[in-house]
Amino acid sequence: MTKSPERSVAKEFLKEVLKGIVASNPVFVLVLGLCPALAVTISIDNALGMGAGVLFVLLGSNIIISLIRKITPGLVRIPVFVVVIATFVTILSLVFEAYVPLLYKSLGIYLPLIVVNCIILGRAEAFASKSTILMSTADAIGIGIGFTVAMLLVSIFREVLGTGKLVVFGNTVFSIPVLSESPLAFFIMPPGAFLVLGLLLGLFRCLGVLKSE
Amino acid sequence: MENNFSGGGSNSNNKNNNSKTIKNKTGFTEKMLKNRYYPIVFLIIIVFVSVSLVMLLSNVTKARIIAQRDEAIISQFKVIFPDIQDYNSRDVYYEIYSGGAIIGYAFIAKGQGYGGEISILIGINSDFAVKKITIIANTETPGLGTKISENFFIDQFAGLSSSEISLAKDGGKIDAITGATISSQAVVNAVKNQLETIVEIIKGQQK
Repeated sequence: MTKSPERSVAKEFLKEVLKGIVASNPVFVLVLGLCPALAVTISIDNALGMGAGVLFVLLGSNIIISLIRKITPGLVRIPVFVVVIATFVTILSLVFEAYVPLLYKSLGIYLPLIVVNCIILGRAEAFASKSTILMSTADAIGIGIGFTVAMLLVSIFREVLGTGKLVVFGNTVFSIPVLSESPLAFFIMPPGAFLVLGLLLGLFRCLGVLKSE
Repeated sequence: MENNFSGGGSNSNNKNNNSKTIKNKTGFTEKMLKNRYYPIVFLIIIVFVSVSLVMLLSNVTKARIIAQRDEAIISQFKVIFPDIQDYNSRDVYYEIYSGGAIIGYAFIAKGQGYGGEISILIGINSDFAVKKITIIANTETPGLGTKISENFFIDQFAGLSSSEISLAKDGGKIDAITGATISSQAVVNAVKNQLETIVEIIKGQQK
């Protein structure tokens, strides 16, 4: 056995992962899954929890769907995908409720709503149902991390501007003197989410255009 | 019609010969995929596997989830009854136990505020006077109506019986929050009505 095929597989894998994070970032480039990106980005903790949840469901569903892709009849593929995704979401929400009840409570309705998150069904239909298990895993990791990064970016802006401080898992990282006393509560409320997300989308689009030129 | 029947027949044959035909895999898979009932069978299998998995996990996590919910309820009661050791749910209210004896009762009241529903947890002593109330959830105007959850307002309820609970302008003992009369009124009405109802129920059950 020569080393080169292994290396090229590893390279492909890494390329696929990176693609999900930067070039086709689900939120900033594909503009998918905006509902949780707007609603749960109130705090960094929520964003991290949601990102981890989506990563888990995406990984599970991509692997299973890729595994059964050759025996899945085209006629019922969407129901099959939805059942697979719903299974992983139910597993996730049971585990969250049992072991991290605070996170479960603050994610609220957005946790079961991962079922209809278009990122996951989109990856199942566009990628996992046509690719090998290895590549589907890479795709899930990339897109999952890309989504988490996007959620983190939005939530950092909202939490810092909206509360004047940054709190991660109950530890205050830093606190801005004047802002923490009279925070811009606007950023914590829904309109703030639209503003921050819109500006970040614009920034990424700008960077994309600059890079391609 | 004849074709349909033969299709069904070959399907059941395929299933019966599952283990035998496994060697001839490609031919079998092709045949299976072409069968008109295959999508239905496949979907049923997927759903069956999925439901069994979820049921299994649900059984595993059940005890922990119930314990977590219990803990969450107790931690809310602790605000009102610091000595709480156990509680017992009685449909519409909770009995609060400490050292094996009932030290009071707790129940939830809901009122219609200015911005939506207000949920209030009310704790009463065994003599039916209010021990303390806490606002569990509200969607009142920030900075005005949300003051209903501050101590200066809710502490006014401590020690009162239902006849004394009404706003000062109506002859009661509760001072309304300036600028948030509707929210204050909503809390007062909700506490008063629910207190009367629950005390009647408790008295009825004690007889």
